[in-house]
Amino acid sequence: MDHEPSENLPLSGIRVIDLATVVAGPYCAGILGEFGAEVLKVEHPVGGDTGRHFGTPGPRGDTLVWVSEGRNKKSVTMDLHRAEGVRMFKDLIAKSDVLVENFRPGTLEKWGIGWEVLHAINPGLIMLRVSGYGQTGPYKDRPGFARVAHAVGGLTYLAGMPKGTPVTAGSTTLGDYFTGLYGCIGVLLALRYKEKTGRGQYIDAALYESVFRCTDELAPAYAMYGTVQERHGPHMESGCPYGHFPTRDGKWVAIACTTDKMFGRLAEAMGRPELASSSLYGEQKARIASRTDVNEIVRDWCGSMPRDEVLARCNAAGAPAAPLNNIADIFGDRQFHARRNLVSIDDAALGETVIVPNVIPRLSKTPGRIKHLGPRLGQHTDEVLKDLLGISDAEIEALRAQRVI
Amino acid sequence: MSANGNDQGAVPTGEGADNPDTAAPASAHSNDDTTKPLPLSGIRVIDVGTFLAGPYAASIMGEYGAEVLKVEYPIGGDPMRRFGTATKRHDATLAWLSEARNKKSVTIDLRRPKGVELFVKLVSKSDVLVENFRPGTMEEWGLGWNELSAANPGLIMLRVSGYGQTGPYRRRPGFAHLAHGFGGLSYLAGYPNETPVVPGIAPLGDYISSLYGVIGIMLALRHKEKTGEGQVIDVGIYEAVFRQMDEMATVYGLSGKVREREGAGSFVAVPHGHFRTKDGHYVAIACTNDKMFERFAQAMERPELASTTLYGEQRKRLAASATVIAIVNEWAAGLTCDELLERCIAKQVPVGKLNSIADIFADPHFKARGNLLEMEEEALGKVVIPGVVPTLSETPGRVTNLGPRLGEATYEVMRELLELTAQEIASLRQQRII
Repeated sequence: MDHEPSENLPLSGIRVIDLATVVAGPYCAGILGEFGAEVLKVEHPVGGDTGRHFGTPGPRGDTLVWVSEGRNKKSVTMDLHRAEGVRMFKDLIAKSDVLVENFRPGTLEKWGIGWEVLHAINPGLIMLRVSGYGQTGPYKDRPGFARVAHAVGGLTYLAGMPKGTPVTAGSTTLGDYFTGLYGCIGVLLALRYKEKTGRGQYIDAALYESVFRCTDELAPAYAMYGTVQERHGPHMESGCPYGHFPTRDGKWVAIACTTDKMFGRLAEAMGRPELASSSLYGEQKARIASRTDVNEIVRDWCGSMPRDEVLARCNAAGAPAAPLNNIADIFGDRQFHARRNLVSIDDAALGETVIVPNVIPRLSKTPGRIKHLGPRLGQHTDEVLKDLLGISDAEIEALRAQRVI
Repeated sequence: MSANGNDQGAVPTGEGADNPDTAAPASAHSNDDTTKPLPLSGIRVIDVGTFLAGPYAASIMGEYGAEVLKVEYPIGGDPMRRFGTATKRHDATLAWLSEARNKKSVTIDLRRPKGVELFVKLVSKSDVLVENFRPGTMEEWGLGWNELSAANPGLIMLRVSGYGQTGPYRRRPGFAHLAHGFGGLSYLAGYPNETPVVPGIAPLGDYISSLYGVIGIMLALRHKEKTGEGQVIDVGIYEAVFRQMDEMATVYGLSGKVREREGAGSFVAVPHGHFRTKDGHYVAIACTNDKMFERFAQAMERPELASTTLYGEQRKRLAASATVIAIVNEWAAGLTCDELLERCIAKQVPVGKLNSIADIFADPHFKARGNLLEMEEEALGKVVIPGVVPTLSETPGRVTNLGPRLGEATYEVMRELLELTAQEIASLRQQRII
């Protein structure tokens, strides 16, 4: 592991119960763990988190999503459909600060562990509730996945060719990650309030809302002018050139001339400074009016040389360009290496070196860390039951025999 | 520590002194219940960034009660005021009005020594500074971490830039559009063998990097309150984008498999994509597992499709994905969007319309959740913006005002916080330092 552990973690002493599945809630708990919280992943004894099964199977069976995003967690099995499981879970809640869950609204209530019950057990509890549509509103009982949330939140409608079928906006799990981030912000705000007042609260995070919140001025523009934004294709309308251009070697570059100054630098990079004169395309208004011509000029230039040559010329002139990296490009990139965005972890359980995305954000005094990758199902059950709940070895044996754990 | 901005006195500047936007917002998400506390009241944030990457972090802090002072260049201010859809207000696009919510505008020219002095004084009375200049710029002005932390050892400084504060590309211009490309997202949007498209929203990376920024600030605030020690948070927009890419890196690291564009579908599950209905709309259907597909087969009134001999297993659906997708396409094309949604919802199939913004405004769920917040603006009338996310039960966030007018709070801040005399302020204004 080439990531220095930090002794100085801002969330040390905080215990988080992660009862959530797949990515959104668990990613929130994962961030809390990176910055020092103890994260207990409570899983069903048979099969565990569905995140162990969705994605590419890794060397020991669990998917690589799990291996990476289960980082730093301890796995504890507990069957919440059984009275004994519920009792242990309540004991765990009494000794914890944060609970993260993402069942369909009403599910925990059905099991007798809804907010009211848990809040009575632990008045300082912070409960992050993640669901597709939130805990309220007419659609709250519908199943929600990120792909559906991207659609409902307005993101997917905008991705694709103007008259074509909308495409996946790059990744099917964006909404899960966004919601994990908003959820984490909610938990940190609530922790602050709890530490001042002793009072806990719940956070209601919906996948579709996290997506919708990132839609820029889509809503105000519709309300004021009735503008319905349509799919952009490879180019944005708000600037020119502002899009993706193919290069001679079959790759692409992104160029974003959002200001006239940026276009001036691009014209220089192209060896055609005259294009940025005020009589030609020096002003954004003129470039937008002649969008087809300007894009054609830039496309011809990009298409006349390999991607790296386009980028070298743009970078020399300070023009705003970047490669459309695939993952192979990313592994070969100096900036990713210099920032250590990829971290190799020798995982004893996997028996292999695994590369995962490193912790962000980077804090100068209290950086986060990855202690270990996603644990095996139930790896820490005995430890937690014994040390935290004070259950004897014999009782643990009995619980295991009954498949409660 | 500062007092909550809302409690401070009237501003005798004559322009925008009485904020028109204090009318109770019509949202379940907004803290219009004034008895509910705000978790960040007492925290002062200086936002000296431009556009969105970083400034959105300050907006979130403001929604939960921090006082946010937007420090802007005296002539023209933040260029975001002119970026996006124009309004009748020459100093505000719709993007500015929405995303500069809750902020107070203070003008200071950081290129002048006197401006630098005022800024340092302001920082010494604040908890958090947010900036997103090209790395090195603040240092050139004498406003690097060394100077600022000397003035305020507890300072938390969020630095957002395209490529981060370190590494060979740190000085390159960084916009979200470039970060989407560099971070690996844009490569994956579109059809195989075609030019990749914009992944839906141009400033997506600005939002994402700001969310990481808020998390960093909240963690740093905890550390500061325990130890008195401040710190720097360094966020590259590209790495915030890259962090969203689930198992892409791990898969490549183990197998060398390069993820490619999936068009309107998915390589790991079928049917998991977008389908066109009879009336020209599109729906997203996400059968991530066999149970979902079984329900979906029932919704299509073809339960036999979910038998083990046919497509009951993901493995078999993936192997026959063209056939399965063709079946779904044909079924979808025979129904209106509403009919399709109704049948899928009745069987608990994960489905959603590909909403345009017009659909969103008409949707009862958005309404019930208060996702569209109506604000009154003096010169513009009704402005609708996205409400506060996430929803906290005890300490919900709120929007008190839309993006402020340039320099609206300069006098108030100079007079009350920096304790300058009216005469000094007039002189600074005359010299265009503020």
